Amino acid sequence: MNKKGVILGVIVIAIIGGIAASLPSSEPESLSNDRLRGTISTEMGSPILGDPSAPITIVEFGDYQCHGCYNWFKNTKPAVLEEYIETGKANLIFVDFAFLGRDSPKAAQATYCADDQGMYWKYHDLLYSSHEPQIDNGWVNPERLKAFAFSLDLDMDLFGSCLDSEKYSKRIQFNSQQAREHGVRATPGFFIIGPDGQQQITGAQPFSVFKQIMDSMV
Amino acid sequence: MLVGLLILSEYIFLEPYVVGHIPSGTELGFSLILIICMLSALVIPMNIFRIHILKSSKQKMSGGVFGTIVGAAAGACSCGPVGFAVISTFGSVGMTATTFLTNYESPIRIIAIVILIVTYFTTVKSLKTECRIDSKI
Repeated sequence: MNKKGVILGVIVIAIIGGIAASLPSSEPESLSNDRLRGTISTEMGSPILGDPSAPITIVEFGDYQCHGCYNWFKNTKPAVLEEYIETGKANLIFVDFAFLGRDSPKAAQATYCADDQGMYWKYHDLLYSSHEPQIDNGWVNPERLKAFAFSLDLDMDLFGSCLDSEKYSKRIQFNSQQAREHGVRATPGFFIIGPDGQQQITGAQPFSVFKQIMDSMV
Repeated sequence: MLVGLLILSEYIFLEPYVVGHIPSGTELGFSLILIICMLSALVIPMNIFRIHILKSSKQKMSGGVFGTIVGAAAGACSCGPVGFAVISTFGSVGMTATTFLTNYESPIRIIAIVILIVTYFTTVKSLKTECRIDSKI
């Protein structure tokens, strides 16, 4: 009787395990395999900003607590958006390289929780617009991240459970690994990927540098 | 030293093109670097002169070197290559150090400037005493 019970128990556990394994993973299903840009896999990165079929892709490796990334967001990105992304000449993908402080990975995860509700870029922009130069001073702690989500009218139950469960932590690790594998040694780090190759840019460089490189690629 | 600091602090970029750039909002940091470099250019040669020519003690030299290094380190960290190298090499200790140097970047640079100013005046005073020509001879 006991033997039968043990065998039955093992079978039940095996069935439950099998069902659990067949369930979709916590990573979103929308991630596609056609997100290889140059040598960089951006499938775990942000949604594409701009025309996905644009001839040039700008891949930005960044950290939400990085002041240089904020400088680029504030000083260079508007011109890039206006001249290249809105005109369909280029698109932009943000890939997290969250290494600066303990709040950085959480902030990156929060953007994907916002993405679950179709608000990735609004949340991304809000984080950089609210940037504070201090690292780990609490400006992107979980409470503030939830407050940012609230200010964008996101579903707070969904967002909160997503953030607390850390369901995107592996996604952030994957993205950071992509950065390391491609020799990114500082943030922001960029790869401008055109039809004939890719060019790396390190740091919050001015628009003139981006223009010179992209004009030579178009 | 000035060029080195401006490169480390990402005011000058060497790749893919040599370009200088002062992003808006970073003017204070740029000004503090200039002041540190100017003071270092005054203080360090004066102290080298004291040590080599007058064979004086190296105590006052240490103030100038310390001020220069502290001032330079404050700007070199953060999310640049130096900060990344420190964090990669030393892990959480490196992260704590980088965080401290980034969060207190401006106060640290101001302290470095104060140290350099104090070193300058003490060196000048010391040189006046040591270089005085004895009128009795």
